[in-house]
Amino acid sequence: MDSLIKEFKTAYADQLGNDLAKTLTPDVPNNAAQLLSVWESGNSQSIKDDLKFLFVRDKSARLNMSSDEAVGWQEIYYSYWKALGEILAAEGLRKSRVKTSWTSVYEAWKELTSQIIRGYTNHEFENWTIPCLYIAGKYMRLYAMRADAERGNNGDDMVTNFQDDFDPETEKHKSLEDCARQLNRIFNLCLSDRAPLAESRKWGIYYAINLLFKTYFKLNSAALSKNVLRVLSAGRGDMPDFESFPKSQQVTFKYYEGVLAFLEENYEEAEKHLTLAWLLCHKGATRNMELILTYLIPCHLLTTHTLPSEKLLAPFPRLQALFLKLATAIKKGDLRGFHQALQEGEEEFVKRRIYLTLERGRDIALRNLLRKVFIAGGFLEGAGGEAQVRRTRIPVSEFAAAIRMSGGQDIDTDEVECLLANMIYKNLMKGYIAHERGFVVLSKNGAFPGTGV
Amino acid sequence: MSWASATPPGTQPGYASYAHGRYNTSVRRFATLPSTHSTSSAMPCPSNPRHSVAANVSPPPAATAYTPVPVRQGFGQPYTLQPQYAAYATPTNPPPAPAAPLQNHNSSSKRSTGLTSHAKDAGIMYTTEWDNMPLPQVLVRTHRAAQLEAQQRASQMMASAWSNSAMTTASAEPVHATANHHNNSKKRKSSDFSESDPSSGTPWRSNKKLSKLSLSDRISQPPAWIRFNTAEYKTYRSPSPPPPTGPILGTCTNLEKNYLRLTAPPKPSLVRPEHILHQTLDLLKKKWRKENNYNYICDQFKSLRQDLTVQRIKNEFTVSVYEIHARIALEKGDLGEYNQCQTQLRALYASGIKGNAVEFKAYRILYFIHTANRTALNDAIADLTTADKEERAIKHALEVRSALALGNYHRFFQLYLDVPNMGAYLMDMFVKRERLAALANMCKAYKPDFKLRFITEELAFESDAEAAQFIIDHNGQHLLIERDDSIMFLAGNAKALFETARADAHRRVDLKGQI
Repeated sequence: MDSLIKEFKTAYADQLGNDLAKTLTPDVPNNAAQLLSVWESGNSQSIKDDLKFLFVRDKSARLNMSSDEAVGWQEIYYSYWKALGEILAAEGLRKSRVKTSWTSVYEAWKELTSQIIRGYTNHEFENWTIPCLYIAGKYMRLYAMRADAERGNNGDDMVTNFQDDFDPETEKHKSLEDCARQLNRIFNLCLSDRAPLAESRKWGIYYAINLLFKTYFKLNSAALSKNVLRVLSAGRGDMPDFESFPKSQQVTFKYYEGVLAFLEENYEEAEKHLTLAWLLCHKGATRNMELILTYLIPCHLLTTHTLPSEKLLAPFPRLQALFLKLATAIKKGDLRGFHQALQEGEEEFVKRRIYLTLERGRDIALRNLLRKVFIAGGFLEGAGGEAQVRRTRIPVSEFAAAIRMSGGQDIDTDEVECLLANMIYKNLMKGYIAHERGFVVLSKNGAFPGTGV
Repeated sequence: MSWASATPPGTQPGYASYAHGRYNTSVRRFATLPSTHSTSSAMPCPSNPRHSVAANVSPPPAATAYTPVPVRQGFGQPYTLQPQYAAYATPTNPPPAPAAPLQNHNSSSKRSTGLTSHAKDAGIMYTTEWDNMPLPQVLVRTHRAAQLEAQQRASQMMASAWSNSAMTTASAEPVHATANHHNNSKKRKSSDFSESDPSSGTPWRSNKKLSKLSLSDRISQPPAWIRFNTAEYKTYRSPSPPPPTGPILGTCTNLEKNYLRLTAPPKPSLVRPEHILHQTLDLLKKKWRKENNYNYICDQFKSLRQDLTVQRIKNEFTVSVYEIHARIALEKGDLGEYNQCQTQLRALYASGIKGNAVEFKAYRILYFIHTANRTALNDAIADLTTADKEERAIKHALEVRSALALGNYHRFFQLYLDVPNMGAYLMDMFVKRERLAALANMCKAYKPDFKLRFITEELAFESDAEAAQFIIDHNGQHLLIERDDSIMFLAGNAKALFETARADAHRRVDLKGQI
């Protein structure tokens, strides 16, 4: 404990928020021995007084902080020590005690988080200490997920609800839902600070939001993120410039903002945010770039009808597996190939929530196929010296034949007409169908907008 | 002790037991402090102070040289009387939160050890008549008796299952204690350490009272704490026993029961046990066939479901109740109730209970197509196994979805004409919307006209008349003309008519969302 507090004091004296946060980081995999020694250096009876001594009474190493603030830190380290005990026990690192549950780890960590929040509301913590809040939020989410996973099918639900039906989602995610509420407290703590920007906790807001987004996505209630965005845009006026936040936070935030728009089928908006995230993303963060592209590629497919080049996908084998086959099929207008690629990837696509979007790529594949038919139709005999004109009256049966060939299935003329009608309706093809006469009349200039014919 | 007394006094008499924890620490502090400021040097050995003090006391004559005889008679006892306490005296170094046990446990050891050390410190050990003081364990016993009484009263009221679970909670180890207990013990704990005036907080000695509490103390301690003195503690707990942790068992034998939303824990006398519910279901099925009164049936099914939930019955019977209610709701177009049933069914199937999972998974997809809930639709698809996708009903639902996604109305209306199970009820809900979409589509793509018959066939109307009526209903009468011996539809002249209608229809569902 002493060494820990010494680290704290050094960090505090230099006002280094990240170093400060490090003293509260229960990074067990990398730091087990040290954490164990911290835990063992205290005991439940005297720890409180030890801390009081270290923070308040130890005259030899007085810090430049008010006694009120010192009490706040003392409480925090007390909670941290308690939480550490639970964590080590849950990891099975403590010799003398049976394993406890991750739920109690979560509860202990939640207590620590509350103490830190209290530090800002009651104990005049300054805003450079915010990384402590980050650490608290970060690990709280992790512990909540472990608690939920551990509880899993144990079925020890102690809640008596007065609902008519049980709610399977809440029972599965009890801790994480609680965690979302706590993270919301952190978010509000940052949001509601009215101090001048230089000293404001508003600088913590995007970290808090990003944690909240992650949690909401995990809880399958991404829609709740909308509320956060709404609050944020309402208070944007008194916020520091988005560009002045750390890039890592910008990228994460833009990514989530983009994915949210994506899920709402607002592809233009999504493309804007995701592109920004893509440009800001660190070039070494392969995984992040991969995630961004997972949504940006389907976006582009729908908004600009463009496909990823092989060069773009080259560094991402996972994305290649996802998209390459699909892209080739679309490019060639190969309906059967498209169908197969979609089916093969279905599980993965559904998991990433891009299945329903990618499915619409079929329109582009079909457009490319019909365009081939149009081109194959060749040119009419030019009247006099005029420029050659393509044949624009094409029998429906020609399109039907192409679709049959490409799709490998029989299809009746009415359905072909229906597909053609869709092409026209969606502005992928210009012209009209003359049903009674059985052919399609395509526009002379730009029958397939954006493709050069 | 000088610094220890710096924080203000303030303990309630009933709380004395907890205030005693402080004596242990302060005693210990004396041992470690003067030698070195770096306490950690003295600490690494995971010795438990409570244990060490206990060790001082339990073999009374040897360890406590300073205790005179009359004290020892009283205070040697708790340890022999309460063997369960041995668990807490082992040197395990437990973290405080879960180690803070229930009231009774903690108090017994601390009362005794705290009492002696306190008396020693205050220098009154030799002057107090210990034999006449109320023994700590007596206080503890009164507590226990009171609690037990409360529980017995509760158990007379409740069915056996309930009271049993209440008892287990009360006597369980802290790990299993309810959240309530956790909170209380935590709060007690912190007050415990922050107060350090030795002259307060002992019921036999002083009533330095609340007035002496500093503001911060009063704020840091919740009102519940104030209530927690010995006398009021009983009345605090007894009238409403803690909510049961297990399911209740109903004792009601009426077959029918009106639905009433619960606002408090259910009374077993008003809940029907499972075998009665079986009879209820049979009765309801009969009545539905005979009377077809949806309001009555829905109400009965809701109360039936409620009884299942409060008793935590989740088996094939539960599934059949939800399935039947879902089907009836579908038939009557009550999507609200249908959706509730469907949500439950999904969870029940997922937990491995048999039923008509395929049928309802298919409905679920169709339902989300209707509500245009893409996220939920995605989840519904994610739920399907490869085997599921081969089932006819699910295959059908997936094809419906795919046809709509691609705007393939031709295929969609073919599927509409051939729906397995009761899916047609669901498809009826959105078929009008899709007809408008298809018409909007056709009006843009076709020029100049085509036979009305084509619409009838493509959009699965039963007759030309019905198709014409549909168009007229949407102010499209001017688009229909008679030519030769058939009616023509002037698609090229429709302009944005159906496009507007389509947008309206889609918006309405968006707003309604999850009905």
